[in-house]
Amino acid sequence: MSVTASAAPSKLKSFVSNQQFILFLVLLGMIGIFTAFNRIFFSVGVAGNVLADWGPLVLVALAETFVIVSGGIDLSVGSVCTLSGVVGAFAIRALTESGMAPYLTLFIGALVCIGVGCIAGVINTLLINYAKLVPFIATLVTLGAAAGLALVFTGGGPIAGGPSQAIQLSVPWLGPISTPIIIVIVICFICWAFLHKSRFGRHTYSLGSNPFATRAAGISIAKQTAKIYILSGALAGAAGMFFYLRLGSGAPSSGLGLELYAIAAVVIGGASLSGGSGRITGTVLGALILTTVTSGLIIVGVDPNWKQVVVAILIAAAVTIQGLRRSEGKAS
Amino acid sequence: MFGLSNMKRSTAGLVAVAGATSLLLAACSSSDTTASESSNAAGGACQGKTIAFVMGAVADPFFNAMKVGAQEEATAQGATLVWQGDKEYSAATQIPVLDQVLATNPSGLVLIPTDPVALQAGFEKAVAAGIPSALVDTKVNDISKAVTFITGDNTDGGTKAADAIATAIGYEDGKTYKVVVGLTSKTATTNVARLEGFQKAIAANYPGITIEDIAYSESNSAKANTNVNNWLTKYPDLSGIFAIDGTNATGAAAALQAKGLTGKVALVGYDAYPDNVKLITDGVFTALIAQDPAAEAKQAIQSICTTIGGGTVTTKEVVIPNVVLDKNTSAADLTKYTYVA
Repeated sequence: MSVTASAAPSKLKSFVSNQQFILFLVLLGMIGIFTAFNRIFFSVGVAGNVLADWGPLVLVALAETFVIVSGGIDLSVGSVCTLSGVVGAFAIRALTESGMAPYLTLFIGALVCIGVGCIAGVINTLLINYAKLVPFIATLVTLGAAAGLALVFTGGGPIAGGPSQAIQLSVPWLGPISTPIIIVIVICFICWAFLHKSRFGRHTYSLGSNPFATRAAGISIAKQTAKIYILSGALAGAAGMFFYLRLGSGAPSSGLGLELYAIAAVVIGGASLSGGSGRITGTVLGALILTTVTSGLIIVGVDPNWKQVVVAILIAAAVTIQGLRRSEGKAS
Repeated sequence: MFGLSNMKRSTAGLVAVAGATSLLLAACSSSDTTASESSNAAGGACQGKTIAFVMGAVADPFFNAMKVGAQEEATAQGATLVWQGDKEYSAATQIPVLDQVLATNPSGLVLIPTDPVALQAGFEKAVAAGIPSALVDTKVNDISKAVTFITGDNTDGGTKAADAIATAIGYEDGKTYKVVVGLTSKTATTNVARLEGFQKAIAANYPGITIEDIAYSESNSAKANTNVNNWLTKYPDLSGIFAIDGTNATGAAAALQAKGLTGKVALVGYDAYPDNVKLITDGVFTALIAQDPAAEAKQAIQSICTTIGGGTVTTKEVVIPNVVLDKNTSAADLTKYTYVA
């Protein structure tokens, strides 16, 4: 009897100290606060706007989650997202001019975007595995190169000329949910299964927790690193296609600075930058909180520059909670 | 995680990449300069002279259109044009470019200062070296030593945007209308002047129009899209949007199309980006305020050549008027004023 009595509070305590649960409460709190200031915030329209922002952010944040859990960092996701969207836009324009059916054109455009992302991932891998650059520098190189190429290719302006169905696909039809958002949700589930239920995920955690033990266990660090950074590039490429569908064009500015918000989403979601920890659900919620802040501040009418302050507070709070949980773990 | 040997290898790799990058940049730079240079025996005051043009940002269609005008005029004057600039619109990256250009001792300089304070010293350095120097688009704080300063009329652009929105919504006295304005940043001088012109015209001529909100896109069309999406939800009775530059125009146009509000909410944009010009005929844009960057560049080169030829440029400040592109604009004019991609 006494065992049951002590187990119940312990379970409750662990549930309440669960980072994802706390994030969920923070999200609900934000929705409550923004709705209190302007009731229109609690509407299908605003939810649609939040999800439209969440789509590309969560894709690059998922990419960043795999990398950060493995103990690395990928600064290139924003630029790769931009470059992929731009190259995809050129392909879509060319296919449209050749008379190809709209949806097939967009599907091939998506493959081109993901392909460009994969190439960027391969370059990151080569720089890390063979040029022996640390991930921070390797992906910084790719960040600069991809952003520069996007500007060179476009001349600074957007690349349109695709089918009109592109923007129409981004229109929500299931409440606030559009077709691209359904695809993003499916990708989230796949990433969850990859990271938490597969051997690939276990190796990723292992690499981030202890690379020497991972090598000693016979796992090829070079191969695992390649898989992680190519996956990261592919997800960034998918985000580029998402932006294309949203803007109806490939804009050379669309992924500008996205890597920082992606890292913020991952950290808010409970991952440690030193590797070995992090959850897909945390990243999904972290990205949702960030986009809720963006829409909330506009709807309430607060200077959007406050978003940076709010994000800073959220990061500080998330890291503090992590620290407390870690010290509590050590104490027990 | 990274031992000493790894660090050494990292450093070696870094050096290798830096070296390769330098070579690549050098190759790109030299090919770009070659492509930008031309001389012509057609003759003129600048025959055989070199004119350096240090602009704002390499990949902006506005500056690309300016380059076409500069090249045409340089060719006509028999001069060689050296077109230089960084990929970012930033004083920190423009100053070293200007220093390098001045080291080649050109016969004349046209400068688009990215900051009125930070570029003042570099501009005066050119003047002190005896290089006739003109300013285009933006200026330094003290323009007394400039051959001339040629710019588009941003305040007038804001006024014209207000007129275009009022016409599109069928403005009537006694009725109320809501509009919003998308800017790139709070401090960009062109944005500030356009907003000022817009606000003054609204206050003076269209008191029934209220500017409900202003937001910033940081030159990012996706952020501009987010802003407009939320405005369209927040203000279901919104009458018009003034998208104050090219990136805001792109983001706003996509939001209107996605929400099925094309033609229902008046959208006036700025800058004649090729794909935005096409959206005028589709009815997405009520109007686009186009500048004439090629004309600005041509006039600057002419003034420099006049000075080199011993003549005097009497007009210290020249304002090139904006052009309103809308559904009534002829196809020829739409082509003429569309910026080069």
